[in-house]
Amino acid sequence: MRQIARHQSPVACYIWTMPAPIYLDHAATTPVRPEVLEAMQPFFGPRFGNPSSTHRWGREARTALDAARERVAKCLGANADEVCFTSGGTEGDNIAVLGGWRVLKPKGRNAIVTSPIEHKAVLQSVHQATKEGAEERLLSVDSTGTVELTSASDLVRDDTALCTVMWINNEIGTIQPIEELAALAKSRGVIFHTDAVQAFGKVEIDARKTPFDFLSISGHKIGAPKGIGAMYIRRNTPLEPLFFGGSQDRGRRPGTENVAYAVALATATELTLAEHEREGARLTALRQKLEAAILAKLPDAIVHGRGAKRAPHVLNISVPGTDSESMLMALDLQGIACSGGSACQSGSVGASHVLDSLGLRADIANAAIRMSLGALTTDESVDRVAEIFPALALKARGLASV
Amino acid sequence: MKARVLVAMSGGVDSSVAAAMLVREGYDVIGATMKLHSDGAEVPDKPCCSLDSVNDARRIAERIGIPHYVLNLEKSFTRDVLDDFVSEYARGRTPIPCVRCNTFTKFRDLIQKADTVDAEFVATGHYARVVNGELNRGTDDAKDQTYFLWGIERSAISRMLLPVGDMTKPQVRVLAHELGLNLVAEKPESQEICFVPDGNYSKILIEHLGADAPSLSPGPIVTSDGTVVGEHAGFAHYTIGQRRGVPGGYDEPMFVTEIRAADRAVVIGPREELMGRGVIARGLNWLVNPAPAVGDHVGVRVRHRAPIVPAEIVRIEGDEIELALDAPVRAIAPGQSLVLYDGDRMLGGGFIESARAARTGLPVLTLR
Repeated sequence: MRQIARHQSPVACYIWTMPAPIYLDHAATTPVRPEVLEAMQPFFGPRFGNPSSTHRWGREARTALDAARERVAKCLGANADEVCFTSGGTEGDNIAVLGGWRVLKPKGRNAIVTSPIEHKAVLQSVHQATKEGAEERLLSVDSTGTVELTSASDLVRDDTALCTVMWINNEIGTIQPIEELAALAKSRGVIFHTDAVQAFGKVEIDARKTPFDFLSISGHKIGAPKGIGAMYIRRNTPLEPLFFGGSQDRGRRPGTENVAYAVALATATELTLAEHEREGARLTALRQKLEAAILAKLPDAIVHGRGAKRAPHVLNISVPGTDSESMLMALDLQGIACSGGSACQSGSVGASHVLDSLGLRADIANAAIRMSLGALTTDESVDRVAEIFPALALKARGLASV
Repeated sequence: MKARVLVAMSGGVDSSVAAAMLVREGYDVIGATMKLHSDGAEVPDKPCCSLDSVNDARRIAERIGIPHYVLNLEKSFTRDVLDDFVSEYARGRTPIPCVRCNTFTKFRDLIQKADTVDAEFVATGHYARVVNGELNRGTDDAKDQTYFLWGIERSAISRMLLPVGDMTKPQVRVLAHELGLNLVAEKPESQEICFVPDGNYSKILIEHLGADAPSLSPGPIVTSDGTVVGEHAGFAHYTIGQRRGVPGGYDEPMFVTEIRAADRAVVIGPREELMGRGVIARGLNWLVNPAPAVGDHVGVRVRHRAPIVPAEIVRIEGDEIELALDAPVRAIAPGQSLVLYDGDRMLGGGFIESARAARTGLPVLTLR
């Protein structure tokens, strides 16, 4: 905390007076890892070349870019030519949904199957496709927030272009049955895309084992900077690009490549994968401890996704009689950073479409607080949240009933 | 550090200066912008609730070094303010949504939010003053906003901080520059209702009531003796005192004097029929203790910016009050507020139910 005070920026002034702040919002974004920062440094300096140039500067950049692509590919169980760098998860989702559907539509496959708990990057891309004539089909989701395979079997048919389901839900952390869904889609000649933005480093992702066709990941969720991501595109899967103007990335994503950030992403994916088991076990233990401690003090609190297969890092909890807006404010003023439903552009907390689709009562959905653990989460910070969160919730509840 | 205060920041100059003044005075200030209606994002350059306003508020908060939050009060605002606005027009009345927004949204819901973050006070950029636990008129006569504040709980007053209440608007703008708030210092003033950014409230009525609602359907224009002199396209488009849309060809100008939802009639008449010597209001709320009593002489205002005129309280029954006006007042419109003053002290108010042509006891001019 004293470190923050050093900055002396006007924003930091109010943080100054608080005890050490606790960052519990790793599903929103993560700090850039020091190794990543170091790895990309040279590309802001002497190695500034354009990878498409034929001179030595260009060659040097090209070498780094190719290596980065290979390293990312390796982390996904993919071939280097199957990896395309993007600006992040949103772009990957857009390319997958629109690029996949647009190319199969003329072949009599006009439907897109997706789930109601997808990220807006997928849902809005699907809506864009419907504006262009696509038929949208929504999978059913059970009350724990897991896609029901029976509905996939009904909806994914030979008139379907694409099925897109996220691997791990960003709001409640439920792990979706991607193996089964991908296999089903494959058996019906349907392109399968998965948004793996939350999943990378949390579950095993291997293109050789799971038959997904497209997969998108985002750098800033795993210790790389914002503005870089990657998309896996299985060989021979048809795709219409969204951008035009050059031959970079095999024409799938033209534009001069961001070499520094590609190197950053490669470094981050490797580091994340190397520690995946140890970190997964650590975060699972911390999350279980936090969950148990909160439930011990607030027995009527509702943990969303409970009973389902869940990612280690997400705890989404509603305390009846509170509202997430006030709780987030109160937590922030105590130095604890969490999030509510999906944060909208204005920064207000809107109703979460994910919680809505679980069939929750509106007041329960409006009370949801997402805590997401990660690199910055320690035993001590979990203890403090386990102390402060229930106290604030009890207070908020006392006020609400007045 | 002094007490904690939650400041409602609209992104405008008044609330920005209010927040900056409180920071300067050493309060522990938290900024909040209330998101009250969802069309805000689509009208980005409009006064309140739009994305730009939120961003302006956020930038001011950064500038003065306070945390800033966006509070989504859309649901309760719709229920408490917007729905009432629509149903009042449907009943042939002229609502004043800012009163209910202050009563429910700002000085009830926001105080509740303040409670959850241990803020002792709620501050706004209203032009009004808290003096000895009572609300007084703002120093800037042209800007005084007590007319919109009569409906709040009396207990809320002790929790209000109104930093710009004893300044004039030009002074506030000068101070904004001094405080480095150039971003908002010269923002134009908003005279409109925040959720009717283009001043066209018919659109909202159509949206909520349907284009074929009785209040938006044709009906007769009649004179006070019942003669039908024309047809109108929906009484919700009319306000008492209005001249536009009233048939011409009379010796003297004709005005809307009454709106009758029951037979959809818009009644017109010459200026004298527009004048009231008595006024009845309901939903009476006193903000002083002891409350005024029958026989007391007070000042009353029946419309924003109308002059405050002398009157006598002639009847108080339950939440209903009747006043006799010392001189006739023009265009007393049901649905607007009746606010009572004793000098600068705001005593309380109510929603106007009807006006009387004569000072007391004679037939009610405006039937419901």
